[in-house]
Amino acid sequence: MHEISIVRNVFDTLQETYPDKFDQITKVQMEAGLLSNIQPILIQNAFEALILEEPGLADIELEVVQLPIIAHCDACGQDFEVVRHRFVCACGTPSKKIVQGEELQISKVEFFGN
Amino acid sequence: MSTPKYPKSNQMSVGSIQCDNTTLNLLKANDFVAKAIREKLSDVLVINVCSSPGSGKTTLMQETGKRLSDKLNLAVLVGDPETDRDAVRMKEVGINALQIVTGGMCHIEAQMILQALDHIDLTGVDLLFIENVGNLVCPAAFDLGEDIRVTVLAATEGDDKPKKYPRMFLTSELMVVSKADLLPYVPFSVEAVTQDAREVNPAIDVMAISSLKGDGMDEWCDWLMAKVAEKKASLETA
Ligand SMILES: Nc1nc2c(ncn2[C@@H]2O[C@H](COP(=O)(O)OP(=O)(O)OP(=O)(O)O)[C@@H](O)[C@H]2O)c(=O)[nH]1
Ligand SMILES: [Mg+2]
Ligand SMILES: [Zn+2]
Repeated sequence: MHEISIVRNVFDTLQETYPDKFDQITKVQMEAGLLSNIQPILIQNAFEALILEEPGLADIELEVVQLPIIAHCDACGQDFEVVRHRFVCACGTPSKKIVQGEELQISKVEFFGN
Repeated sequence: MSTPKYPKSNQMSVGSIQCDNTTLNLLKANDFVAKAIREKLSDVLVINVCSSPGSGKTTLMQETGKRLSDKLNLAVLVGDPETDRDAVRMKEVGINALQIVTGGMCHIEAQMILQALDHIDLTGVDLLFIENVGNLVCPAAFDLGEDIRVTVLAATEGDDKPKKYPRMFLTSELMVVSKADLLPYVPFSVEAVTQDAREVNPAIDVMAISSLKGDGMDEWCDWLMAKVAEKKASLETA
């Protein structure tokens, strides 16, 4: 599994995006679509492991939000939630037009302000 | 990496919190490189072959190479956590192959493909196979700049796998049921696995193949030839 490289990627991305404010980050929220195969608990474990290498990160809170899978049905024009990976709309039409569920992204960053 | 200056406890009790509702895609770098690969290999059909370990990917490539060598110019990039055994096996049957050693990593990332392209001569190549690391989970999230993804599932692995690894089957155009010569000896129904896969991906094609005995190899080779022809035709109209 590659959770540890994902967590590294999170902090590398933040450092790149906020070079001046990185050390004021207090909280990071990640969004992981159900199709990203990311388990929040494993991300937390990987984060704990990374903290052993980078003790300064211990002051940051990491939250992982899982996003359900949503697909769009062309037949009835509606979005529907894909439950148990059945990509079939309530109207009976199969659809793979994924609107949400493949995300792996940072969605919110909080900084300590003065 | 620099370290936060303020202990978390202090941050929570004093001062204000500024919040940035941003969206930073963590796969952005990979997707960017995948796009570059697509541009670079615009005249080559690229097929990303995924499966769990030992499903018969390398054997299938070897047999494909033997059958299509006078019809197609074929090359293979093969990823494994360690050793160059698979590339050696392909070269033994005359296939232009290069090993990508991922150094323990559970999937190939686009960057590894882009770097590998500097070390393999693809002049005149019609079809490039990427044999991914044996893993039905992680490789599913990494676009390698391929045109088509194919998932290989061996008859010995059980016919209930598609729903367990939905993203892999969702993103594949074709599911190859490999080791089809073993179907009489194992409780595996091609019909059941097809139904399971189509609940995830209604459009997925299914083909049962035995690289060992040759069953299904003609259909597979015809499918590849048709896809290569399709790619070439799309270039002419573009
Ligand atoms: N019975 C039977 N065995 C096969 C067939 N194809 C491959 N095998 C055997 O399955 C084993 C694994 O085959 P490989 O081709 O190395 O599988 P792979 O998917 O490339 O393996 P990794 O790269 O390690 O993930 C070998 O012992 C092959 O001889 C087949 O069609 N029928
Ligand atoms: Mg192999
Ligand atoms: Zn519908």
